Amino acid sequence: MEKVKCFIPETLEEALRIRKETGATILAGGSDLMVSNSMGAGITPAFRGDVMIITGLKELKGITETADTVEIGALTTSAEIAGSPIAPELLKDAASRMGAIALRNSATIGGNIANASPKGDMPQPLILMDAEVVLKSLDGERRVLVDDFIIAHKKTELRDDEIITGIVIPKPQFTHIFYRKIGMRRANAISKLTLSAAATVRDGVLADFRASSGAAGPKVARSRKAEEILIGRKLEELSACKEEFLDAWNGVISPHAMPEYRRNTTRRMLAFFIDALAAGHAPGRVDIEE
Amino acid sequence: MSEVSANKLKPATKINDRIVRVDALQKARGEAMYVCDMTLPDMQYAYMVRSTVPRGRIKAIHLPEFPEGYHFISAGDIPANGKNELWMIAKDWRCFADGYVLYVGETIGLVVGPDRGVLKQLKAQIKVDYEEQTPAVTIDDGINCVGGPMFPEKGSNVMCELFCEKGRPMDEVFAEADEVFEETIETPYQEHVHLETNSAIATMEDGKFVFYASAQCPFYIRKSIAGLLDIPYDDIIVRQCTTGGAFGGKEHFPDVLCGALLVAENKIRKPIKMVFDREEDTQFSVKRHPSKCIYKTAVKDGKITGVWGHIYYNCGAYLASSYVVLQRGVFHGNGVYTFDNTYLKGEGIGTNTFPTCAFRGFGAPQTLFAIETHLNHLARHLGVDPLAFKMQYLCKKGDETTTNGHIIEEVKLPEMLEVVTKESDYWRKVREYKPGCGKGIGIALYNHGGAFTGNGEQAIIKAHARLVKTGEKVRIEVGSTEMGQGFKTTLRKICAATLGVNMDQIEYFNPDTAKVVDSGPTAASRSTMIVGRLVERAALEMKERWNEGDFTTEVEYEHPDGYPWDQSTFRGDAYLGYGWGVACVEVEVDKLTNEVKTTGIWSSHEIGRAIDELIVHGQINGGIIQSLGYGAMEKLENKKGYFRQKSMSDYVIPTSMDFPKQFYHIQENPYPWGPYGAKGMGELVFNGASAAYVDAVERALNTKFTAIPIPPEDIEEAIKHVH
Repeated sequence: MEKVKCFIPETLEEALRIRKETGATILAGGSDLMVSNSMGAGITPAFRGDVMIITGLKELKGITETADTVEIGALTTSAEIAGSPIAPELLKDAASRMGAIALRNSATIGGNIANASPKGDMPQPLILMDAEVVLKSLDGERRVLVDDFIIAHKKTELRDDEIITGIVIPKPQFTHIFYRKIGMRRANAISKLTLSAAATVRDGVLADFRASSGAAGPKVARSRKAEEILIGRKLEELSACKEEFLDAWNGVISPHAMPEYRRNTTRRMLAFFIDALAAGHAPGRVDIEE
Repeated sequence: MSEVSANKLKPATKINDRIVRVDALQKARGEAMYVCDMTLPDMQYAYMVRSTVPRGRIKAIHLPEFPEGYHFISAGDIPANGKNELWMIAKDWRCFADGYVLYVGETIGLVVGPDRGVLKQLKAQIKVDYEEQTPAVTIDDGINCVGGPMFPEKGSNVMCELFCEKGRPMDEVFAEADEVFEETIETPYQEHVHLETNSAIATMEDGKFVFYASAQCPFYIRKSIAGLLDIPYDDIIVRQCTTGGAFGGKEHFPDVLCGALLVAENKIRKPIKMVFDREEDTQFSVKRHPSKCIYKTAVKDGKITGVWGHIYYNCGAYLASSYVVLQRGVFHGNGVYTFDNTYLKGEGIGTNTFPTCAFRGFGAPQTLFAIETHLNHLARHLGVDPLAFKMQYLCKKGDETTTNGHIIEEVKLPEMLEVVTKESDYWRKVREYKPGCGKGIGIALYNHGGAFTGNGEQAIIKAHARLVKTGEKVRIEVGSTEMGQGFKTTLRKICAATLGVNMDQIEYFNPDTAKVVDSGPTAASRSTMIVGRLVERAALEMKERWNEGDFTTEVEYEHPDGYPWDQSTFRGDAYLGYGWGVACVEVEVDKLTNEVKTTGIWSSHEIGRAIDELIVHGQINGGIIQSLGYGAMEKLENKKGYFRQKSMSDYVIPTSMDFPKQFYHIQENPYPWGPYGAKGMGELVFNGASAAYVDAVERALNTKFTAIPIPPEDIEEAIKHVH
């Protein structure tokens, strides 16, 4: 077996240097990489290249806010996000339904984005909220929309010398939100289908409308073009343009397995949300169990 | 007992005492030692090299160069006087595939050596060339002999078959009927998902082969593998280790690990350990039999006049325990009902898939699901409430069974239904929840014949139990095993209560075949009912002679007179006692996503008498949840010979979040031949909840299912066909 090197940097600066010099795979919480590289019980996992374990970097942990944004360190765990008073509701929904408690205590938001699985829990609401990833290297920092950062299944824009250091989320101003995760069971399940939807209703007009679908194609699906069908409409106009929107959204998702179930369920959930808005649903969370 | 020693001892345990399980603390603290935790000096490890094609001829096996101390063990290592066969019911299961393979996952060889990383690399470098053949995968494939018959001498894939009939010929009954209601109901594979994966260690001690195994039946292992080396049973010692769950998956399957290890041990003579990874355990271990049950029910004037059933079980490539599983399936094929005329035929179909074997319920859950669901559909077809319809046919004491025997005990189902329908408010809900309203309540009735079928206990097993008294301590020496079901607690309680001593004075260690007597397999819900009774008898004798000092008592199973069984014609009293059950499930279906939320579970079980209510309660909770998983979500598909679900993230079993707290009721009905009136119950509690669940979902959506499981995507399909 090829020997690979394992680095455990103590500072972000050291980590960035190692990353530039070696291009080592970054291990944050390890909940994806330790499974995908496992060789079975009692055997050292077989990573194909060098590994850098950044789990201990304090600079990359925690949730803070500014007037307009919520900023989450890349190493913040799902459990911390789920329990945060300042994290956006849709993100908390997603974080709290991710895996089991033990996994939520180790899996990180940065890792969940970098893993770029269409079934990943947190990218889906982040994409809806126009969140950006903060990417650092020795040469500087850049910010990219999560939607642009994740290119396809397991593919991202991460450069060989970069580390995801944080996520910046514009503070949502939504008046109505809807979140559903359909797993193979009620807890500790990989998503079969997820949907976030959000709306801002002002003076009887739909000032903003967004949706994002997880586990319904090679990456999280969002379509600003489809959303524009509804944005700017008066609530009483919604029922007239609902079908056009639903058809457009149906064109955006591309489920491979269980296509009929995923398409029909997505359609029913979005129709339900739009109908609730049209019916003048009180601000807050919209769901069937009220 | 002298006054002095009696003062030092704790008070005598009574059978009704509520006690903490004897293994609870040790297991909760992580102190229990499993096979995986044992390391012997100079420990070697083994991995299986398995077939990667479902059916084919092995053209060549290409081995990489093995470093010093590393071995490849295969059929060629079986000595000339040994036979490449494992002896379960038959001897068809080969220890190592030789020349050809019959299913994906069949053992071809073992890689053995000191370093697991090196072994995995060696294993990855082994290349097997196959000449592939077309596999038969499904029951229909097997019936149609896809790829050519598996048994050319018979020209078919039928591995085993039987039928039983009662009353008049069915063609007459059909001819007189107003209508014949026909349905085909299918049930799926199910994986045991015992917490501890399959594992075993082989080593040498004083010239004997010693096995440490995670297993239900240590004596089975010895019998199964001795022929590989053509050695006497006594040259093999099997020591059961703390076993982290089994559910039937460790009844015969440990033979497959231990047989291969025996051949390796014979050559290498060092301790060798084999522990399956979860992915191996999921894909390459025995499963529950998929079934296809065709029922034709004759109806005249709104009443059932006869039931005809043709039951197919997918047995996989080797017989394992399938013939007995099939028999139990057929004998439970009429559910808890008496019909005047019945004909039930069972066929076990060979396919190129991993052999299916024992799994909690042992063939009964498939046919019980099928008959319950079929009768529910028939009732709705006739426009009557399913429960009211089925209650007309409940069997009762003295009724003739489908095997021309009789129901020996009082049947308490009416009393149990009273409790369950009252607690669940069944009749009100049935009136209020209109078909298709999104809410539904369903109910199922079921039973489970205790212990081995017919005269198996007397003719085949001939169980023994031994008690050894040393001072104030008594040691139980039986081959029965604790696998998480609570038997150590139950048996020690029976023994202590009978002797009039405290449970702490009773010892019951994990069995070692060199030290205990064979009390038969830990299977068939027979442990409490049969072995418990043996220990009670041995303890009664010991109590009589308590002041004689240190001594031993040993008893053998005695069959009650007057209950004939003919194993060649399958006629007579198939079981001396049944456990009986009623399960009721209420659901709410999410109209957006088809997700089913179970809002209530109520059950009543008649098990003779509970030896320990806490343990019985645990079994009820677990059995019902496992059954609901089977009906609702546990999808295990085999495509072209390969299981699609490979791990615990794609083969999902329920968590505590999926189902609510259960109401449970235990119906007393003391059984004359069981300890303190107890009957078997471990399997009974699995047998019915899945049918109740499907009934509830069908009512909530006003639709019909003829196959399980029914995850949301399958419900999507079914709601297209609202009837």
